[in-house]
Amino acid sequence: MSRIRSNLNTGSSEFRQNYAANLARIASFKERQDAARHIRPPRDIERLKKQGKMLPRERLERLLDPGTPFLELSSLAANMAYEGEAPGASCITGIGMISGREVVIHADDSSIKGGAWYPLTVKKIIRCLDIAIENRLPVVHLCDSAGGFLPLQSELFPDKQMAGRIFRNQSILSKMNVKQLSLVFGHCTAGGAYIPGLSDYAVIVRGTGAVFLAGPPLVKAATGEVVTVDELGGCDLHTQVSGTCDYPADSESHAIALGREIVAQWAHSPKWALQREAVEAPYYPADELYGIVPDDIKRSFDMREIIARLVDGSRFHEYQPAYGTTLICGYANLWGYKIGILANNGVLFNDSALKGAHFIELCNQNETPLVFLQNITGYMVGKEYEARGITKDGAKMIMAQSCSRVPKFTVMCHGSFGAGNYGMCGRAYDARFLFSWPNHQIGVMGGEQAARTLAEVKMRQLEREGKGQDAALVDSVYQETLKAYQEQLSAYYATSNLWDDGILDPVDTRNALGVAISASLNAPLEPSGYGVFRF
Amino acid sequence: MAVILTLDGETTTVEILGRKPQLRCSVEDRYYVVYETPAETDGGGWITVNGVRHRIWRIQEGERVHLKIGNRIFSVGITDPIDAARQTTRSGEIRADMPGVIVALSCEPGSNVRAGEALLTLESMKMQITLNAPRDGIVSTVHVAINQAFQKGALLVALEPEKESSPS
Amino acid sequence: MPIKRILIANRGEIACRIQRTARRLGLETIAVYHFTDRHAPHVSEADSAIELQAEIPTAAYLDIQQLLAAAHAMGADAIHPGYGFLAENAGFAAAVEAAGLRFIGPQPKVIELMGDKLRARDFAASRGIPVAPSCTQEGSMDAFIAAASTIGFPLLIKAAAGGGGKGMSIVHSADELANRAALATSEAQRYFADGRIYAERYIERPRHIEVQVLGDGTGNVVHLFERECSVQRRFQKIIEESPAPNLPRALRDEICSAAVELSSAALYRNAGTVEFILAPDGAFYFLEMNTRLQVEHPVTEFVTGMDLVEAQLRVANGEALWLTQEVIRQTGHAIECRVCAELPALDFRPATGTVRVLHVPEAPYLRFESGIREGLPITAAFDSMLAKLVCYGDDRAEAISRIKSALDATVLLGVDSNLEYLSAIFAHPAFVAGDLHTGFIVQHAASLAPLPLDAAMRASVLIAAALGNDDFRRMVDIIPEPHASIGYWRN
Repeated sequence: MSRIRSNLNTGSSEFRQNYAANLARIASFKERQDAARHIRPPRDIERLKKQGKMLPRERLERLLDPGTPFLELSSLAANMAYEGEAPGASCITGIGMISGREVVIHADDSSIKGGAWYPLTVKKIIRCLDIAIENRLPVVHLCDSAGGFLPLQSELFPDKQMAGRIFRNQSILSKMNVKQLSLVFGHCTAGGAYIPGLSDYAVIVRGTGAVFLAGPPLVKAATGEVVTVDELGGCDLHTQVSGTCDYPADSESHAIALGREIVAQWAHSPKWALQREAVEAPYYPADELYGIVPDDIKRSFDMREIIARLVDGSRFHEYQPAYGTTLICGYANLWGYKIGILANNGVLFNDSALKGAHFIELCNQNETPLVFLQNITGYMVGKEYEARGITKDGAKMIMAQSCSRVPKFTVMCHGSFGAGNYGMCGRAYDARFLFSWPNHQIGVMGGEQAARTLAEVKMRQLEREGKGQDAALVDSVYQETLKAYQEQLSAYYATSNLWDDGILDPVDTRNALGVAISASLNAPLEPSGYGVFRF
Repeated sequence: MAVILTLDGETTTVEILGRKPQLRCSVEDRYYVVYETPAETDGGGWITVNGVRHRIWRIQEGERVHLKIGNRIFSVGITDPIDAARQTTRSGEIRADMPGVIVALSCEPGSNVRAGEALLTLESMKMQITLNAPRDGIVSTVHVAINQAFQKGALLVALEPEKESSPS
Repeated sequence: MPIKRILIANRGEIACRIQRTARRLGLETIAVYHFTDRHAPHVSEADSAIELQAEIPTAAYLDIQQLLAAAHAMGADAIHPGYGFLAENAGFAAAVEAAGLRFIGPQPKVIELMGDKLRARDFAASRGIPVAPSCTQEGSMDAFIAAASTIGFPLLIKAAAGGGGKGMSIVHSADELANRAALATSEAQRYFADGRIYAERYIERPRHIEVQVLGDGTGNVVHLFERECSVQRRFQKIIEESPAPNLPRALRDEICSAAVELSSAALYRNAGTVEFILAPDGAFYFLEMNTRLQVEHPVTEFVTGMDLVEAQLRVANGEALWLTQEVIRQTGHAIECRVCAELPALDFRPATGTVRVLHVPEAPYLRFESGIREGLPITAAFDSMLAKLVCYGDDRAEAISRIKSALDATVLLGVDSNLEYLSAIFAHPAFVAGDLHTGFIVQHAASLAPLPLDAAMRASVLIAAALGNDDFRRMVDIIPEPHASIGYWRN
């Protein structure tokens, strides 16, 4: 495969301006992330220390294999919810390695309100268990949660994708022979008790760990029975009498050491043998990504420059280089894995949509995972394009993509607007993993278009009501809409609501995709249905 | 997760920082790049640490690794991470798992027993079962006599409490 | 009838050494062993083997009745006692002969004479061989102390009946004499069942020079030159060499002649060793005679080209001495060191363990004589010597250089040993200069101690050890790609 020849002028003022703007953006992202991970009321830290507990991230670092990556998911979940009361949605999820096995980690963050579950906590846990199901990854739960956050119970308890789904997913995982281990460091109360209860293996720490459907106060209220935490659901009770947990641990360190050894007993399930080549670092330095991505969402850039900084040796085999050129398609290797890339280089026309649909079929035929690099304002609109069947052609691309059997990965490199989001494997399309860059914006249309559309509607309404033209009113509608939209368009809003699996510093994209692709290979490939249609 | 080693009575941890392109470890906050050349015909090999190459012979024996590196010979203790983390005192209460009768007593109050040493033999369900000391210790009380029947959970023998070991 | 089937009443390296010559000569060997030695090479390499019963392992090899019964049961026609155990037990030699078997050693009477240090001394003195001023405890302890005081200090006190450094001590002044004498008595009692002790003038910076002799029992005796055995720890030799460095030829000949004279007078039969103390002024004194094969006999074999075990067998067969002094030549230089399971840093405390790795270099100029192999447990039941390493060179410098290289190339893991310590001795300038005396190790203790590890070397040792641990190694190797290549990374 030949190397992409970069046309980037790293000496240009545009490059330098982009670079500076993106650095500032990344600094702000890291600052938010750091706060979400580490800024806690000293009182809460003190309480954990007094209990002899480690902070959740300390547990995690000791549990994971040394010198291996941990792909944290949705580190800024809930960052724009609950007035910031649940940083990271009060839990840590991600893909890591324990005793040489890829596992999903779910760790309650007891440094925030005792690890209580908010609605978005539940959503984040369900998402990580969905990842486990889709990719057949074992799960290690680090349990330490006070249970559901009662004031918001209506948003976390009753519906299909709410708390019950956690336990449903756990059950399904076990049925699929995908193992789960719970390390019970703190309390698992009420529904939370089912996490160790539905795990195939459970370790509980003597003194601090407890599992019960109702804690002592509730028991007293319900039946009048007076009982201590340890008597009700402590380590010795569950490992000697009830059998709810399997291994007693003397300390958190002991539990972690046991946990590592338990995972080490799990048979290595064969992975789907995706073709792998020797790894070659990208020829072009990753930090140049900062100089490529424009500060303005409306400015376009050549997505080949992005590909050149993600893939092995910056080598790219471009498919149909002369046809449908606003969608770049082609093969590349990433951390040695053969992948098929679809990257937007402008609005999707009929030919680019057909090219995309065709290339997706080729990757399915070739058993090559798909990576979508989104920067899309949508499918082309207008009389000519409708006449040429843009809707029909877009539908082909969505169909081909939706029905793909190969794993899909999506990176929101810049804008993601309109139906282009669908064709390019947006959140609704079961990408195994979907990440965003901090500059990313998402919405049914761009902020300005939306504001203009609403201002237009307002104007027509005024006209209908015979109130004549009120430029100031229309302008205020425009400005307010734009402002509200901008906030909701931002990557932070998206990630807060778990519309993605987390924001990535662009230079981390290569590693994140490496871990993600490797994880995806744990699930077997389904058989294919049709051959390749040349549309 | 680090490995705890003991050399000349001093305890140190070796941590893995990375594996590719070469193994990187840290020992006492210093970083070392390591690679090993596989053993040749005579069973020895070479280890290169931060560019310094040493001839090496090595063998693991239980929780020790004996090695000759250059012309020097060492024996390094390695602590199992689970053992290192285990910290509570082990109970000295020997209780009956099921009802039965005592058929033999192998200890008396004051006996100094080693872990695994027989304390008594009981008979239950036509089987003779010998109960052993769960740890080293001194027998404080023998609660039963020969031919005495007991119920499930009965305290049979107690060892003197163990001194609290410090968590590692 | 020449000897055909030899029962070797010993174990370890010497049993293996005797088997080697016997095999070469087409003789059958019978090993004896205690249960703890059942996997030892001396058992598996013998033509046949028979177990001896005893609670205490050493007791098995000291049980005369069982040994004779074993010899009878296995149809042996001779017994080789090796060294140690019953090698210098006149009663054993007599019992062997009474049982109609050949004893590969001296006549019981000679063993008895030389076994009693006091009689041996008197015997030597009566033949004009110099002995150090001394006195023996014959009556009360008080009388002994009074007599000993007149010899002058420092004094050496030792058991009248024993050897091997047991019960030996140096007394520097009259004040300590009574205490040391009492201690020596109790040790002598414990080790030799004979509490009598003996005092002699202690010579400062003495050298230990001994002479290998060979006699046929009729007064025909030749010597096979001297050995220098001055490097000792706890009164036990750890390095021996031949010829002795810096020993004037005339003096050497004088000492060798004295050894021949003594052995001849005793009508000595067998290979034997006459030991002398050599004072810095060139005066030498008879110390004792060992009526058996010596641990360090290979150095003599290297420089004379003779097989001393074969020589023992020939004289035991009644053959008259077949060579004259004139034809025996001392060529080149040989050095031996004793590899012991011990901790030099902890005052040579014996060590135990299991031999896990044993790798020994091979060369025509090198002999590694051992009774160990990989997998063999080393217990405290027997002597701590594991093996002898012997090297030959055209001259002393070459022999030293070869033995040091051989030591450095020797790998013995699983049981602590003095390998490194021996290597340090061979690197020591005083040893290289041949500036030897029996206090060598005490004098140079500081410069022989291993250098402390610097941080980088310590880290290398720890990392190498960690990589030798299966769990750590697994933790390194188990990480698949691309995770291993990505390494530590957090997003």
